Amino acid sequence: MKDLGPKIPKQVLDWKASGEDAVYDRKTLYGYMDGGAEVYLAFDFREVFVRKYADAEENELVLDIYDMGSPAEAFGMFSCDRQDPDAGIGQASEYGPGLLRFWRGRYFVSVTVSGNEDKAEKAVLELGKAVAPLLGPDGAPPDMIKLLPPAGLRAQKTAYFHNHVHLSNRYYISPDNILNLDEKTECLFAEYGPEGGDSGRLLIVRYPDAEKAKAAAASFLRSFLPGADANGAGLIAGKGWSAIKTRGNVLAAVFEASSKSYAERLAETAVRPPQ
Amino acid sequence: MTAPMTRRDFMRGAAAVLGASAAFGRDATAPVTKTRVVLIRHPDALDADSAFNEPVIQQMLDEAVSKLLDVGDPVAAFKELVKPEDVVGIKTNVWSFLPTPAAVEKAIRRRVLDAGVEEKAIGLDDHTVRTNPLFVKATALINARPVRTHYLAGMSGCIKNYIMFAESQEAHHPDSCASLGSLFLLPQVKGKTRLNVLCALTPQFHGRGPHNFSRRYVWNYKGLIVGQDPVAVDSVGLRLIMAKRRKELGPAQEVPPVPKHIQLADTRYGIGTADPEKIELVKLGWLDDVMI
Repeated sequence: MKDLGPKIPKQVLDWKASGEDAVYDRKTLYGYMDGGAEVYLAFDFREVFVRKYADAEENELVLDIYDMGSPAEAFGMFSCDRQDPDAGIGQASEYGPGLLRFWRGRYFVSVTVSGNEDKAEKAVLELGKAVAPLLGPDGAPPDMIKLLPPAGLRAQKTAYFHNHVHLSNRYYISPDNILNLDEKTECLFAEYGPEGGDSGRLLIVRYPDAEKAKAAAASFLRSFLPGADANGAGLIAGKGWSAIKTRGNVLAAVFEASSKSYAERLAETAVRPPQ
Repeated sequence: MTAPMTRRDFMRGAAAVLGASAAFGRDATAPVTKTRVVLIRHPDALDADSAFNEPVIQQMLDEAVSKLLDVGDPVAAFKELVKPEDVVGIKTNVWSFLPTPAAVEKAIRRRVLDAGVEEKAIGLDDHTVRTNPLFVKATALINARPVRTHYLAGMSGCIKNYIMFAESQEAHHPDSCASLGSLFLLPQVKGKTRLNVLCALTPQFHGRGPHNFSRRYVWNYKGLIVGQDPVAVDSVGLRLIMAKRRKELGPAQEVPPVPKHIQLADTRYGIGTADPEKIELVKLGWLDDVMI
């Protein structure tokens, strides 16, 4: 990561690099994050390069370039927290006041502002545009995305992650890890509809083996959907229809679906092997 | 069809079933005494530039502690909390994005001095409380920090503020920081906490970005949540965070994932009361958009 340093501009508009560049790895990240390291450590995070910039009024920009180990993990880190409009930087990006986020190849990047966020906007976007070309080539998002049924998918809302903490921050199911998620599970959370009145939320989990998927489904039915019918579908008061299906090592769970048939169809389509 | 555990169920939690009184060894058939928590707000706690107003914050703390203990005079109230012979550690929080306001630290320190504690017997610390000589010999602790969401623990409040007393902070991370309540049973801490001040002057209701902080999710609530029971104080803080999240982010994101440590601090570790039904929330001062 230190090789990146000389290639990154030391000045962006009126903002100049301040202090020493720093690099943190999995062991030292806690020293940088003070409370946020777990978010990254739950992915295959390797290192982060940090450079700070300051203007004459001592407003500060912080550039973080995270080596996430693979494009899939970089996509995952980006995807778990998308809320702002596209900024047209890297393979996908978003910008809102005080925060630019994007990913390219195996890198996830953030630029944050301390101080006057409005004044910093141009510099934040300029810095992002200068850094993105240095991080190529582009990489592929997780192959698991092919499992998502395309009809009605709100693609910008799709998140890829591994563990229960990320699921809970994306969609709250239970205070406990009832789907037995860990660093070896791959998860996609997606939103659907409304298309023709159908809508719902879909979680797909790929386990290391079929036994683990089956055990997780049993745990889910016991804890979350104890009144499910023989097809694994049930109505939750005030929360629409849920359904769960497994095939091999893949589990699909549907939440807040607009109808029983849509919940079952979405879950069934998700566990069907891609054509 | 049986419904799954809802968010409201989660809030009420096992505390309602088991009864917090059992945790304190009281007779389970005896009338339940509610734990008092005071929420005080003032429209001038922050000025137009969002700077903290020290005199107003002193006044808020004074009124809150007086009401908490039903003692008319704030100095007399603090004399019930600390004695002149006490060594008092004020556990603050220095997180750079949202630290304990200096105005709150000063207000506490002033009243501890007024209560007769010598200046040299009052300490203020965060990261080095385990080894700070004053905190090592402290006979009384006062716990003060802002309320905010936390990616792992759901909420950072008065319970989580004691993580710096832990030998290993990482050891408390698994299962959404479920074991945080055990910090109050450490020898350096047990039985010493006299007051908890959860600063809701500028709470953070959602976390984003590399350090889980974005100014967009901080609002000027201008409140302090004060109590002797850290669990009850955090339970009230969580209700506030949930109310704000429901309003701003929608019902699906009402619960900051996953604040189970607050409930477990009651049911597993017995250090306080999480059940809202067993908390007497006294609201003082400004009530506009009070939310809870």
